[in-house]
Amino acid sequence: MQSSPLNFRRAVMWLGRLILGPVFIYAGYSKAFLPNSHFWPWFFFKFSLSTNIANFAFQVEAFKLLSPGGVQFVAHTLPFTEIILGFLVLIGWRLPIFGTMLAAIMVGFSVVVTRAYLLHMNINCGCFATPQPIDMQKVLEDAGMALLAVSMAAFAIIEARRPHPWTATEASASAPAQR
Amino acid sequence: MISGFGGLVVAALFAAFGLVSGLSLSASPAPPQTSASVADIDPHEALGSKTAPVVIEVFSDFQCPACKSLYDATNRQLMDNYVNTGKVYLIHRDFPLPMHAHSKVAAQYSRAAAQIGKFEAVEEVLFQNQDKWEASGDVDGTVAKVLSPAEMTKVRALVKSGAVDAGITKDQAIGNNTYRVNQTPTTVFHANGQTFPYAGVMSWDILKQFLDQLLGGK
Repeated sequence: MQSSPLNFRRAVMWLGRLILGPVFIYAGYSKAFLPNSHFWPWFFFKFSLSTNIANFAFQVEAFKLLSPGGVQFVAHTLPFTEIILGFLVLIGWRLPIFGTMLAAIMVGFSVVVTRAYLLHMNINCGCFATPQPIDMQKVLEDAGMALLAVSMAAFAIIEARRPHPWTATEASASAPAQR
Repeated sequence: MISGFGGLVVAALFAAFGLVSGLSLSASPAPPQTSASVADIDPHEALGSKTAPVVIEVFSDFQCPACKSLYDATNRQLMDNYVNTGKVYLIHRDFPLPMHAHSKVAAQYSRAAAQIGKFEAVEEVLFQNQDKWEASGDVDGTVAKVLSPAEMTKVRALVKSGAVDAGITKDQAIGNNTYRVNQTPTTVFHANGQTFPYAGVMSWDILKQFLDQLLGGK
């Protein structure tokens, strides 16, 4: 059965790509390159990157879920994974695969944040001048994005099994001419 | 194909935006050039030689877990390898954050202890016992563990009189107005005529490499 270019599933996929892609790119960028953003000379860039990763590791450790080795692994890999996945989802390349990976990360993060909220953990303090606690709004935002991510991935898998509307077969393309 | 190309364009725009915003963030505010021109240094809360080639200002909150982490990870080695050898002039700046109920009191006690030459001991006991006094609010009892009764009497008098409050307010003003500090710890490095604020924790290995390269003039 040929897929329609304007059906609900494709709309959700587009929405997911346009929202989740940039969100993940910025999330990864901010973890790796903010707040310390000295890019030159090279040893300043290395120091900036290291301190930002260390800050993120500190925040990951605050969730009290991983071993020290696990914390370091997540801190060193997640920002760059988010940037790459965000980019791939945004351009829509191999969306069933990378959309699923993005959805898995998003669901995992939503579960972790919800757990922290239910346990009244003062997470992500980071001691900013303005407090940044985990509240119900944050929990709902993450749950919403996780739902969007899962929907996007599921629909991408479904749509991948159907012929693309712009690559219709010869039989369906020549059908109107036979009238 | 078209959606892929459009996505590439959008992604490139985001990347460019991110890079520009990052570069703009790296611009430093007007920097003091030497320790002599670093504003309002309280000599009781500064350690090392004033002529050291690298000056480090640390904006810190005693109730901040990240500040404790930085202190635990770097303080002893920094003191032994760089401050005591005349390579680094280390300045402590109090920056108690509003959401920490007892950090202002802790800053008052540490500043008062600094007046009688006991800053390092009090700083250590406050960070080592952070989780205890954070829960109980008993900063006085924590500080009393490392000071003699006579010293505690002097410290309590200084805290009660408000004599140390002006210094804390001045440090906060420097952090807000000069360096735009918005989190703790924030470490400001002054070297080779330039100023580099860094927010957050850092490991000793990375800090050591950075200091060596700053001292090497690279």
